[in-house]
Order: sequence, then C-alpha cells, then structure tokens
Amino acid sequence: MSLVEDARLKAKNALEEGLVDGVLALARVEDEPYPYVFEDAAETGMLELEPKWLLAKLAMNILRSSRQDYRLGIICRGCDERALNELSKRNQFDPARLHVIGLACSAEQARICLCTKPYPASIALGEKSEGFDPREDERARMFLSDDPGTRMQHWAAELSRCIKCYGCRNSCPICVCEPCKLEDDLWVRRGEIPADMVSYHLIRAFHLSDTCVACGGCTDACPVNIPLMLLQVAMRETLANNYGYEAGTDLERLSPVLSDLTIEPCPPLMEPGWLDSLKVNHET
Amino acid sequence: MTQEILLSDHAESTRHNAAPKVVVFACKWCALIGADAAGKNKVQLPVNFRVIPVECASRVEADAVIRAFSSGIDGVAVMGCHLGGCRYNNANHRAAKRLELLRPLLDTVGIDSRRLFTSFGTAHEHHQFADVIGEFYRRLQDLPPVQAWSRSNMNDYRRGDT
Repeated sequence: MSLVEDARLKAKNALEEGLVDGVLALARVEDEPYPYVFEDAAETGMLELEPKWLLAKLAMNILRSSRQDYRLGIICRGCDERALNELSKRNQFDPARLHVIGLACSAEQARICLCTKPYPASIALGEKSEGFDPREDERARMFLSDDPGTRMQHWAAELSRCIKCYGCRNSCPICVCEPCKLEDDLWVRRGEIPADMVSYHLIRAFHLSDTCVACGGCTDACPVNIPLMLLQVAMRETLANNYGYEAGTDLERLSPVLSDLTIEPCPPLMEPGWLDSLKVNHET
Repeated sequence: MTQEILLSDHAESTRHNAAPKVVVFACKWCALIGADAAGKNKVQLPVNFRVIPVECASRVEADAVIRAFSSGIDGVAVMGCHLGGCRYNNANHRAAKRLELLRPLLDTVGIDSRRLFTSFGTAHEHHQFADVIGEFYRRLQDLPPVQAWSRSNMNDYRRGDT
C-alpha cells in the first residue's frame, strides 16, 4: 500500500470511528492541490500528501470558528506539529480538540527545507528520515559563514531586494499578534519600499526567536527568494546550547527567556565574575 | 544632563570611528542615578551619547535596540539593576536573557554584537557610570564604522540628504 493510500485509510478510519468531525489535509481538486476539510468518509479518495503545505494556521482558524465540541483531525508534518504546539502553548486553541496524524517527510524534502527535524513526535505515516543541517548546504553557508563581512555582504544584497509584501509574516504559522508591530510607523515606516532592512527584518526575526520551528514558510513564501529562515538558525542554536530548548517539541515547557536566571540559568551570564557584557567575548 | 566634553586622548586619529553615536537605556533605580550623579559631579564623559530613562531594563525591547541600529546609532547600552536587586519581580533577568538572545541575530547579519552593551548593577555610582560608558565608548571607537546598509540608507533617503 502506498503512502497516500495509507493516509486516505487513516483519515477514513478516524472519521468512521467518530474520533474526529473533520480531517484537514490536502485534496486534489481539478488537478490542483488545495487544503480541504474532509467531513465525509467517502470523500477521502481525493486526499493528497504532496506538496508540503503548512496547515497549522488554517487548523487554528478552523478550531476558533467552529463550535466548541468540534474535533479536528489533521495530517501534518513535523514542522506543522511543532507550530501547533507553539500555538496551543500561547492559548490560541485547545489542543484536546485536535487529533494529529503525523507524517514524516522524505529525505529529499528535508534537504529542500533545510530541515533539522523532518518528522513529528509520533509518526503515523512514512519513515523517519535523518535531519539536514543548514550549515551543510552550499547556498546557506554563505549566509552563515564565519566571516562577519561576508555575512553582511550577502544579507545586505538579499534583503535589499525585499518588496515588503509581508508574505514572510503572513505565511508564518506562529505570527498571530494583533496588532502587528510591523504595521506600526514607529517601528517600520509603511509605504516604503524596500523595507527598512534592519528594523523590518530583524524585528520580525527576533519576535520569532524563541518560537520559530524552522518550517521554512517564510522562505517558501518570499517572492524574491530571500532565505529568511536562515536568520533564525543562530538563535535556535543559542537556545539549544544555553537552555537545551527547542521550540515546539514540548507542549508544557515555556520559552526559557520568560523565566528567572535562578530557575533556568543562561551559561554566558553565569560565568564567575560576570558583571556586564564588556567582560564577555561574544565572538565565539 | 550628562553630556560632558570628550576626553581628547580618546579621539586619536588611529581610531576607526572617532565619534560613535551611543544610546543608553538606563534603569531609573540604578544606572540613571549613576548618570545623574556623573552630571552633578561634573565627571568627564564622552560626548555623543544620550540617556533614555526607563522604569526597568526589561522595558527595553529588543526591537528598540534594533530600531536604534537602523536609525544609525553605533552602539546601544542597556543598563539595569544588579541581577539580585530588581524591583520588579526579577524582570531584569528576562531582559538579560532576551538581549543575550539578540546577539546571535545581530551577528548573523554582520552587525557586531559588541555594539550592544548590557550591564546590570555596575553603574550605580557616578565614577562607575563614567568608567563603563568610557570603556564602551572606546570599544566602539575601535570597531569599524557601521556599514552603510545597517545605518539604513532608507533613513537617509527619507531625509533627502544622500
């Protein structure tokens, strides 16, 4: 049985058993894939798995706008699952109403997304494949190189092409703030193209510093192909090194930047004799 | 309040950046007292820095630091209370962690994270304030000027002076 047939069967069973009221997945309609909520078990023949399509925000909106006892199933990849965990940690919806059918990505997909963890916590479909380190990628290496001058050059060239479509923000499964700072003239002047390279992009990136699940939605959405996800790599690594924290992997654990240093110490700030950042060499 | 004349020996021609612009966010319970006292005692301080009083260091969002860099500031200092002495439920711990997390992002795009200076409880006295500001100022002088793009050429276009 092929992977997609297996997925159709799992969705069908979930609906027939009454486990869920609907299953959110992709459907092939007139030869194009679209997100679709399957509520009738007979329709599951249209269900598709490809291409990668982030469904987390859609699932959130469906749960918010449906009746309170509506239970939604979702066929989702590792990145989507982590995004859903982050959203429910932020009380955007009740995780008890969500039934996740986890889909592991292929090694090829992981390579395209530069994904370090191309599988959900519990895999119902597909085989677990190894993650891909973004620093191994030829193109990504220019943006993460050891030389600050080279990095700056590459980022300046890339970000100057920005047409400020807000696609990176809109496609992000975790950008849910209302109102958004990127629409406030104090931080980012509206109607100015290209976007202010430092304030627009770095404010957006920093708002996701401890939330980014590296789904690559921003990179995929960018019409001028700026590899925006690579802005997050260093911050994600810092969180992993300093606190052993990875966004979206734990439904309970909150971001370590929200806690006291006595509860979750930050090693660079804990060195003996640390008083201020003049004494610490950050160029490591 | 606290701007004094730059000590002339700091402005040697060998420095990369003779007069860096600095914004200091000072917690009103600690560093602001030091800054005030430095002014009252007529301590010699570098020019080109501005103190912005804040209720607590945690009031300084990373966004404010980023916005400062984008408007052409060479260095940002955030100074709060000692890590055991916050008046707001250890809010300065969050500020310390948050700004520590901002460093890798600044470094990623090539803005040297040494341009962001964080200090907790080291600037309560006027001479302490003068010392840390002076040390930070000299460090900024040694760093090459911020590249044109992070000085935000957008801001220059806006003012029409390019």
